[in-house]
Amino acid sequence: MTPDRAAVRTIRLLPAMALALVVSSPARADALVCRPNYDYSVEVDGSYPKNATLYQAASPGMYYVDVPACKTGLLMDMKARKVVAVPREQIKQVDGGLQLNDSFPPTAAAYALAVDGPFVQFQAEDKKVRILRCLDRPPIVGVVGMDALIADRPEYREGMREYAPRAESIAAMNKYTKKVQIDAFFATWCPHCKEYMPKFLRVISELKNPNIKVNLYGVPKGFAQAPGPWQGRNINSIPTLIVKIDGREITRMGSQPGAVPETELAGIFDAVR
Amino acid sequence: MIETVAGARPLSQVPRTLSLRRAAGHLGRVALGLVFLAAGVLKGLDPVEFAHQVAVYGILGERLAAVAAPVLIVLEILLGTALLAGIRPVLSGLVSVLLLLVFIGIEAYGLAAGRTESCGCFGAYVQRTPGEVIGEDLLFVGLAVLAMWGLRDWAGMRPGRASAVLVLAAVLSTAFVIGSPSLPIDGYVTRLRVGRTIAELDLAARMPELREGRHLVVLFDVTDPRAAGVATALDALAALPGAPAVTGLTPSTEQEIDAFRWTAVPAFEIHRIDRDVIKRLYRKLPRFFVVDSGRVTAVYDGAAPEAKDLL
Repeated sequence: MTPDRAAVRTIRLLPAMALALVVSSPARADALVCRPNYDYSVEVDGSYPKNATLYQAASPGMYYVDVPACKTGLLMDMKARKVVAVPREQIKQVDGGLQLNDSFPPTAAAYALAVDGPFVQFQAEDKKVRILRCLDRPPIVGVVGMDALIADRPEYREGMREYAPRAESIAAMNKYTKKVQIDAFFATWCPHCKEYMPKFLRVISELKNPNIKVNLYGVPKGFAQAPGPWQGRNINSIPTLIVKIDGREITRMGSQPGAVPETELAGIFDAVR
Repeated sequence: MIETVAGARPLSQVPRTLSLRRAAGHLGRVALGLVFLAAGVLKGLDPVEFAHQVAVYGILGERLAAVAAPVLIVLEILLGTALLAGIRPVLSGLVSVLLLLVFIGIEAYGLAAGRTESCGCFGAYVQRTPGEVIGEDLLFVGLAVLAMWGLRDWAGMRPGRASAVLVLAAVLSTAFVIGSPSLPIDGYVTRLRVGRTIAELDLAARMPELREGRHLVVLFDVTDPRAAGVATALDALAALPGAPAVTGLTPSTEQEIDAFRWTAVPAFEIHRIDRDVIKRLYRKLPRFFVVDSGRVTAVYDGAAPEAKDLL
C-alpha cells in the first residue's frame, strides 16, 4: 500500500468521520458518565492526596478530575485543551462512577491545560494539578506493609477489589500446616507487578492461616546497583516471590500473562507435604 | 584390467578412509552452507529489525549497527554460497569458524549482561535465547572443522568460476537486503495471517477480550507521524453502526502511548505489547487485522480498511 493510496482511503473516510461527529455531538449534551481510571494518578502540589482520582468518560478525550481540596470538580476536555470547573452539586454518584450534568453555567471557570509528553498539567484554583501514569509516581522502596501499600496505591487497591481468587485454592492453603514465608520483591513502577501483585495481595488477604507470613519489598529502578534487601538474593526480574517452607527456599514465583497466584501457591504447598 | 596414467591410481584403489573423510567433509560443508544461507536470508527478510537487534546488544551504537547488520547479512549469504558451491573449502571453513567464534563471544557477552531474550540469529521471526545460540554455534563450529578436515586436499570450484559465483551472490544478496522491506511477503514471513487464532499470535493471555466478538486491531507505532491520522480514520470507522470494536496494539512505551493519547485523543484503547511478542506480527507498521471470535479473518497492510470491508 503506497502512502498515496492511504491518503485516498482517508479522504474516502471523511463522510464517515463527519457522520461520527454528528452522531457523537448529541451525547455531549447528555449527562456525562465517568468511570475511575486507576492507571493514572492525580498529583496535587507535588503530593498524591488519597482520594484524588481521574475519571474517564465514554466520550473520547473527556476526563473528570476529582481533587478533594478543590471547591469544584474539574472536567478535562483534551480536544478543546481546557479544564472546566464543574459545580459539585452537578455531580452525582452512579453505579461504579460519576454522572455529570455538563450544561455548565456560562460563568463557569475554565483553565488552560498543557500536555508535556506523557503528562497533563494545569492550575486550578490555586493548585498545580498533574495527571501522570501511576507507574511514573515516585516508587515505594524498601520494606512496606500491606496496609500502607494499599492505602498509598489506588491501582493496587482496585486491582485487589476486582480480583476473585479461586475458593478451593484458598481453602487448601488455609489447611497447610508447615511454616511458610514468602518474600515478595516488586516495584510500583513495574507494569507486570501492577498486574500481578494486586492478585497476590488479594489472595494473601483472604488467607486465615497463621503459618503463612509475607514480607513485601519495594525495589527501586536500577535495583541491581542500588543497596537494599534485594541484594545478594539473585533477583534478576520483578516481581520475584521467594517461597520458603520450614526455612528452606522451595521455589520462586514470577508474573506471567494470566497468572493465577493462588493456584500456583496451592500447587507448591501440595507438592511439599 | 584397468589402465592408468603414470603415478595415478584408479578410483577403485583410492583408500577407503580417504573417500569417507572427504564425504564427511562435504557433509559438513553443505550442512554449514545451508545454515549460513538460511540465517542470511531469514535476517534479510527484515533487515531493519535485525539492525535493531544488533543495536540492543549495546556493543555497537545504533548508527554502526545500521551499517553492520546489512553487511553481516550479505556476508552470511556469501559464506553460505561459498560453502555450498565448494569455493576454497578450507578458507570458507576457516572464515566460518572465525565468524561463529565472534557470534559465541557476543552471545556470551549478552548472557553476562543478563540478556535472556531472542538474539535475532535467524531473523526476527525465529526465537532463540543466547544460551541456545551458543550451543548451536558450537555445533556449527564442529561442522566447519569437519569440512576443513575432510576437504583439506580438495581444491573445489575453479577460481574463475568461483569469482563469478561470488560476485553474482554479492549482487543478489545486496539487492535482496535493500529490496526486501518493500516485498509484499508479510503474510508469509510473520505470524499474522488469516486463519490464525489469537493464541497462535501469543495474544490470548495478553488480550483476552479478543477471544469473543469482532474486533479491528491496529498494530502501530504511536510515535509515527502518521499515527494521528490512523487514529482519526479508525475512530470514524468505529462510529459506524455495526463496525467492530477497535483496539490498538503497539510496541511503543507507556509514556509514548500517553503522549499520543493526550494529543491525538483516540477513541479506542491502546495497549503496549512486549516488543519480542508484537514484532512477530509485522515487518512494517501500521498493520490492521480483524479478529472474529478469537480468529483472524482479514489482514490489511499500510492503511486502515475501508468501511465496505468491515460492514
